[in-house]
Amino acid sequence: MEATQATPVKYDMEVVRWFTIAAAIYAVVGTLIGVYIASELAFPFMNFDIPYITFGRLRPLHTNAVIFAFGGCVLMATGFYMVQRTGATKLWSNGLAWFTFWGWNLIIVLAVVTLPLGMTEGKEYAELCWPIDIMIAVVWLSFGFNHIMTVAIRKTSHIYVSNWFTMGMIVMITYLHVVNSLAIPVSLTNSYSIFSGVQDAMVQWWWGHNAVGFFLTGGFLGIMYYFVPKQSGRPVFSYRLSVLHFWALTFGYVWLGAHHLQYTALPDWTGSLGAAVSLAMIIPSWGGAMNGMMTLSGAWDKLRTDYILRFLVVALAFYAMSTFEGPVMSIKSVNALSHYTDWTVGHVHSGALGWVAMVSYGAMYHMVKKLWGVEKMYSDNLVNVHFWLATIGTVVYVVAMWVSGIMQGLMWRDYDEYGTLTYTFVESVSAMHPYYAMRMVGGLIFNIGTWIALFNIVMTVRQASALRSSSAVPAKA
Amino acid sequence: MSDHDKIYSTKFQDKIERSTVLMFVVTALAVAVGGIVEIVPLFYLPNTAMSGGNGTFNGTAHKDKAGNVIPMDKIVWNPATSAHKTLEGWQPGDGVRPYKPLELAGRAVFIREGCYLCHSQMIRPFRDEKDRYGHYSIAEESMYDHTFQWGSKRTGPDLARVGGKYSDEWHRRHLSYPREVVPESVMPNFFWLANMPVNVAETKRAMEVMTIMPFNPIPKTIYTEAYIDGAPAQLEGKTDMDALIAYLQGMGNHIKFEEGVNYRD
Amino acid sequence: MSDNHDASGVPTTGHVWDDDLGDLTNQPPKWWMLGLAASAIWCVIYFIYYPSIPVSNANNYFHGLGGWTAITEMEADKSDVDKVRGKYEDKLKDMTPAAILADSELTEYVTRSGKVLFGDNCAACHGTNGVGTADKQGFMAPILRDDEWQYGGKIGDIYTTITGGRQGVMTAHKGVLTDPQIDDVAKYIMAMKAAGKDKADADPTVAAGKAVFASSDCTACHGADAKGIPAMGSKNLTDSICRFDCSIEGVTRTITFGVNAGPDARAAVMPSFQAAGKLSDAELKKLAVYVYKFGGGQPDAPAASPVANSAAK
Ligand code: HEC
Ligand code: HEC
Ligand code: HEC
Ligand code: HEM
Ligand code: HEM
Ligand SMILES: [Ca+2]
Ligand SMILES: [Ca+2]
Ligand SMILES: [Cu+2]
Repeated sequence: MEATQATPVKYDMEVVRWFTIAAAIYAVVGTLIGVYIASELAFPFMNFDIPYITFGRLRPLHTNAVIFAFGGCVLMATGFYMVQRTGATKLWSNGLAWFTFWGWNLIIVLAVVTLPLGMTEGKEYAELCWPIDIMIAVVWLSFGFNHIMTVAIRKTSHIYVSNWFTMGMIVMITYLHVVNSLAIPVSLTNSYSIFSGVQDAMVQWWWGHNAVGFFLTGGFLGIMYYFVPKQSGRPVFSYRLSVLHFWALTFGYVWLGAHHLQYTALPDWTGSLGAAVSLAMIIPSWGGAMNGMMTLSGAWDKLRTDYILRFLVVALAFYAMSTFEGPVMSIKSVNALSHYTDWTVGHVHSGALGWVAMVSYGAMYHMVKKLWGVEKMYSDNLVNVHFWLATIGTVVYVVAMWVSGIMQGLMWRDYDEYGTLTYTFVESVSAMHPYYAMRMVGGLIFNIGTWIALFNIVMTVRQASALRSSSAVPAKA
Repeated sequence: MSDHDKIYSTKFQDKIERSTVLMFVVTALAVAVGGIVEIVPLFYLPNTAMSGGNGTFNGTAHKDKAGNVIPMDKIVWNPATSAHKTLEGWQPGDGVRPYKPLELAGRAVFIREGCYLCHSQMIRPFRDEKDRYGHYSIAEESMYDHTFQWGSKRTGPDLARVGGKYSDEWHRRHLSYPREVVPESVMPNFFWLANMPVNVAETKRAMEVMTIMPFNPIPKTIYTEAYIDGAPAQLEGKTDMDALIAYLQGMGNHIKFEEGVNYRD
Repeated sequence: MSDNHDASGVPTTGHVWDDDLGDLTNQPPKWWMLGLAASAIWCVIYFIYYPSIPVSNANNYFHGLGGWTAITEMEADKSDVDKVRGKYEDKLKDMTPAAILADSELTEYVTRSGKVLFGDNCAACHGTNGVGTADKQGFMAPILRDDEWQYGGKIGDIYTTITGGRQGVMTAHKGVLTDPQIDDVAKYIMAMKAAGKDKADADPTVAAGKAVFASSDCTACHGADAKGIPAMGSKNLTDSICRFDCSIEGVTRTITFGVNAGPDARAAVMPSFQAAGKLSDAELKKLAVYVYKFGGGQPDAPAASPVANSAAK
């Protein structure tokens, strides 16, 4: 419990420090597993005939590690950080925050153990088995309750916009997790959904899309709304825009899940409904991107020197890009082509690498300096190197998947001049090989960046504590 | 911080921003709507394969070319009206049926190994998918699939109608070493499945669980107590490989589709 | 409190968080507000035109004014390709594979459309273009590019195979023959495969095997000339083409455990693409011609009627 330099308020920041370090570590691990599974698709011998590391078992570990371990730790670090600072108050309960920290990490450890063992519920992004689901509910509520109670005891009159988004995420993820996890156990590690077929599909993609919409988008927009103005030293461009796009997203995003199920065995209305609202979501999404970009406008000159700001700008650009791409992919005729192909995977990673990871690192670098009370990172040059590795890695990954995805889609549906199919399925499989290799390289470049970030953060922390112990004055971070 | 701040949005919005409780409640309501509208109707509208577990459906009616309603027991196997009264006597075309014990065990393997991450089980109504995979999938076909397995990525081909396409031996060799039969394949080797005995206790328990599902339970007239009790005998000595193959071989030939019938309407 | 301004002089709302966070009172860009309104209107129009409203109307949902359904869209797309292939398909319908083979334009069409049919359905067992696929246990299924046919290479035979499937049976000889006898006969077969029947028969080192072959049940299936009997699908043992694998161990294994004759036997099942409902009649005919045109197809005797084939049992 230390004071920050700027205000007399004493904040509970130790738990934020731990979450931040954990996030930096999980980013390395999660993307490393990503590179590994990418290599399995490019070079299948990489499965090494070891059941625990075959593609089918490692892929859920990748998604869980990047979304819930990395993304989750970033969200909790920034969530606790922002809610205190914007409310000028300590946490409602520091003890509960530590419970959240240890609980969340226990869940991650259990995921690392159970997923390679094949203990899965078979629902994307909700693979963890039912006892872990219960733990997730408890730990998530501990985070949510603490956050909301801290908002409640804030010293400011109004709730800052970041906290609206975090709160929206907390509520929605609770709904989603509870309903989508409803299942009857058959053993300690196995259970079957109480829903089946069509209903289960809709529930799953209501979850699946909104895990994206509220966890990877809403939550991270909250981060954007704090760190972009902070880092650029400028107020948010438009309060009204914040209000309008917040409610439009909060109300609208929920409807999008059905775009994952177009042309499936659900009745036609479901897919159409999802598609229509998806297309309408460009504007609310771009409202957020716009608000961030315009906040920065006027601070463009800082981009040359401020590497952290670069992360935030590129993140916003990718956010705008992927929230344009997503609606386009929801159009019936486009989805008919893109669904089931690597295009979806490309879209995922332009959002996940370009937006989620970039904005996370912008926030993390900013926080590390504040949390450990240093002026500069250990090496600004390394921040810059990381920035370029992350950007190039993302672009290589996404371009590879666009090409392979569209090619796949076109090959599957291609008819020759006799009106008969042109390509066999395996021809499409072998045509993917170069792009799968290219994706692996792009991912590797991105992953190297995460190692550099981890190194830089650890060195910054070590320098800070060296500084602290060498000066006789007690820590003042 | 003062109460006479100028309001730049609306009074209500300003109130929300000042009140944690209000913010919470309004958000909680706003995010609930879309999900309710999209999910709830699927439980009562027709053509969503919602059965009462006793052969009744919510008014689902597929019509043939002449406009005559195709009886549901042509779509979903009903032992009471079918010529084949037992799961073992069931023939392809008799209608959608629950899984036999070995198939159910195989389905658990399918989920465990993450096959759904590379294979879809949902043929869309497109001409190319019809030419490549066969008739488009319909809701009834996955009504007994607690934890649906439609997938979202086709790294490998769709499997919805793979049953009967190959021999058991082919599956055995392909699953064991895919590249030895299909050199271009990127599928992992699964030969070790042949060394793993099926989980008999869990399969039996799964059968029991399937009959008590709140939605689309498997009728107790099909999974009778005696049938469930007999399951372990059927599973005796079988491996995960056998189970997986049984599951794959049962896939997609349950209904005899008639040309020209719209099964989605 | 509203002393915060941005460079252009726009005031903030007056609220301050964390020392310096505030928000400006700028209006959202005009294009954005228009876009938001347009999005709302778009949704309304779409909901009316496309089926989107799950309101129970006559116990169903509102299908939209546009009349769009996924199925009608598919029918329209299908009719586009049907226009192209229709003229061929109409002819194909009532023709036998042999008659198709006699029509060069149709043969061209059928070979083109056979490529994906074969690649997606058959290549898994018979290899890309019918070259065969082999693993440690030998060939999965017969090579189709050569001119050796277990069940006959006439177009009608091939068609019958594909429609009805095949499951050749060879009994196990473990216990029927002694191990040394099996070794002997295996050696004899290897000699036939290497040098032909005449040379093998003349070779004294495999005379024991020759005797076993002639005196046991082998000839009943493979014929006295060891050339195989197409009706049974038994293999010609006098050529160098191997059904399973060409090693003496492989041959010994086949003789010992047989084919499709129990758990240890070699499995050799060609599924029936008709019974499984996987392929349509037209597709089956196309495949027969396609396989025939690999090059190994044998012409029908000149007198044979083009209707010689009949659907599988
Ligand atoms: C890494 C991706 C991957 C995983 C995981 C995977 N497969 Fe495959 N699968 C493929 C590819 C690619 C093909 C196409 C090439 C081939 O036939 O091997 C294929 C083909 C198949 C086929 C043949 C389908 C046909 O119609 O030709 C079957 C059956 C199959 N897989 C079953 C499975 C099962 C069961 C599992 C899980 C135990 C599984 N697959 C896991 C990629 C995968
Ligand atoms: C599951 C594996 C499998 C698939 C799939 C398969 N076959 Fe076969 N096929 C076999 C086997 C095994 C045999 C040999 C049967 C025997 O020996 O009794 C065979 C035999 C044949 C023969 C007879 C060869 C001869 O020498 O007489 C033809 C022709 C043939 N297949 C064509 C096809 C075509 C065309 C397809 C696709 C529609 C196909 N097969 C799909 C396994 C398969
Ligand atoms: C009941 C009929 C039957 C009898 C008896 C029989 N065979 Fe066969 N044999 C077959 C058939 C059918 C095949 C082809 C298997 C297939 O491809 O499905 C075959 C295949 C073989 C092959 C494999 C050839 C290759 O290229 O890999 C060998 C070797 C063989 N037989 C040897 C023998 C010998 C030696 C005997 C007597 C001891 C014998 N068979 C008795 C039916 C028979
Ligand atoms: C080094 C960076 C990364 C690499 C190489 C990588 C690689 C991969 C691969 C190979 C897949 C499987 C695709 C398939 O099945 O065809 C995948 C899936 C996925 N990854 Fe990553 N990944 C990386 C980083 C991330 C990050 C940072 C996130 C999220 C924050 C993420 C989220 C996902 C998601 C959500 C999926 C599932 C996509 C789907 O189901 O369509 N990945 N990734
Ligand atoms: C308005 C914004 C967006 C819309 C309308 C949208 C739409 C879509 C569509 C249509 C798909 C493909 C579904 C399919 O065919 O299977 C998809 C997949 C996906 N999107 Fe988005 N997207 C949006 C923004 C984002 C963002 C910002 C992310 C950030 C990470 C993201 C992550 C994902 C993921 C993870 C998937 C893969 C789901 C799966 O496993 O199949 N999306 N999205
Ligand atoms: Ca997916
Ligand atoms: Ca041959
Ligand atoms: Cu989505």
